[in-house]
Amino acid sequence: MEFDRFLHLDGVAKTFDLTEALRPTTLDIAEGSFVSVVGPSGCGKSTLFNVIAGLEQPTTGRVELSGVDVTGQAGHAGYMLQKDLLAPWRTVLGNITMGAHLTRGVTSEDEHRAAALAERYGLGKFLAHYPAALSGGMRQRVALMRTLMTSHQLLLLDEPFGALDAQTRFSMQEWLLQVWAEERRTVLFVTHDIDEAIFLSDRIVVLSDRPGTVVADLSVELPRPRRLATLTEPTFMETKRTILNLLHHEGESA
Amino acid sequence: MNQNFRRNLFGSFLSFVLVIVVWQLIVSLGHVAPYVAPQPLDAWRSLTTHWSTLWPLVLGTIGETVVGFVVGATLGLGLGVVLAKRRFIQRVVYPILILTQAIPIIALAPPLVLVFGFNLAPKVIIVAWIVFFPVTVNVLDGLSHVDRDLLTLARSYGASPWRTFSAIELPASATNIFSGLKIGATYAVTGAIIGELAASSGSSLAIYQHAQSAQLNAAGVYATTILMTLIGIGWFGLIVLVEFFTTPWNRRQIARRAGQHI
Repeated sequence: MEFDRFLHLDGVAKTFDLTEALRPTTLDIAEGSFVSVVGPSGCGKSTLFNVIAGLEQPTTGRVELSGVDVTGQAGHAGYMLQKDLLAPWRTVLGNITMGAHLTRGVTSEDEHRAAALAERYGLGKFLAHYPAALSGGMRQRVALMRTLMTSHQLLLLDEPFGALDAQTRFSMQEWLLQVWAEERRTVLFVTHDIDEAIFLSDRIVVLSDRPGTVVADLSVELPRPRRLATLTEPTFMETKRTILNLLHHEGESA
Repeated sequence: MNQNFRRNLFGSFLSFVLVIVVWQLIVSLGHVAPYVAPQPLDAWRSLTTHWSTLWPLVLGTIGETVVGFVVGATLGLGLGVVLAKRRFIQRVVYPILILTQAIPIIALAPPLVLVFGFNLAPKVIIVAWIVFFPVTVNVLDGLSHVDRDLLTLARSYGASPWRTFSAIELPASATNIFSGLKIGATYAVTGAIIGELAASSGSSLAIYQHAQSAQLNAAGVYATTILMTLIGIGWFGLIVLVEFFTTPWNRRQIARRAGQHI
């Protein structure tokens, strides 16, 4: 049975000095779902994200995970950014096991799991390579495997494919959906690419211009598994139009 | 070993040959008197005939260099870390560090002899004095420029400060740390020789050279200079080797190994 309030934000707001970055936001994310947050740049997406990751203390409000208050506490969610943040001094295997290395020391079981993960997702031959030898897409795969290695149910992905070219990006999106289907984790995905958000998500949360606040919460009624053809389905177009209108009107009124 | 390393070794050998050839040319074509500058071969002969006398002196200088370097490098590393981690201490201590390096190093020897006498201590202190500074500055530089997002990532895992330091900050600063160590290594012998000049009661490489100079024995003077230089080069080379083996990710041919797969 799925838990609808797996992640629960209760009136979370953030003010930096005198600048309001995020207005009080209340949001529930169901367990196992894929939710995207879209909005204009500087709308507080990353602030929201850092608050959920526990890297920043919200000015007001609470963050609950499985009913437990985790406000301002790091280490309960997998976290991945646009920059792959691979350690150049660690091999692919060493980077996938970075989480264990940073918290308790890498065990041989970690290494077996990491190797199996790399094997399953096409990087099995590269375990002993250093990141400098990998392409941008491969590096982001390693970064996602590093994120998956944490057994956290919640994965926070902040524009992970933002720096990739269009083709690599699409194949990475397909791959992410495959991984998500197999791993059954809850994904909160930040992007400013509307196509990407629709293609990937069950649900899209639209934020307003800074200070950010939720202006719309849409569910994406597209069947899974999603493929290239999904991008041209009428439902896809309709959803895209809705979101574009929301963001556009938001821009005009500001 | 690998190709790149062999190429570097060959380059070093070539530059060595070049120095000898230029030296020989200057002495031969310039008609330089043998008591002013010897021919390379004369210096070599002086070295081999007096090897039994020189050998223990060389060991002595190596000892001072190595002990002084280890003390200085350890101090430099520790200080660099403390200064990087505590900005207040950095503000207070940094000017003092500059001050220590502004003191002419030769002027440092007499007071040290007054305190410690004619033994190993003043020489080691002088070497350490010279070595710690470039190490501290480079460690501080390296630690201050670690990718902040990488540190945030470590924080998102809930990593402890110590784990973050050993798993992220230290390896991320490796290149800087080795730069400091390499600069220190080249200066270390200079420190040892200055120490020997000022604080040797008995025999030492510096005193030996001084005696050769007094006797106008140019071959002996040059032979000693060559030995001192070789100690410096050897120590530098050792640091380069350590860097080579401890930072495999910086070796280009390893980093590019997968180039063909992409």
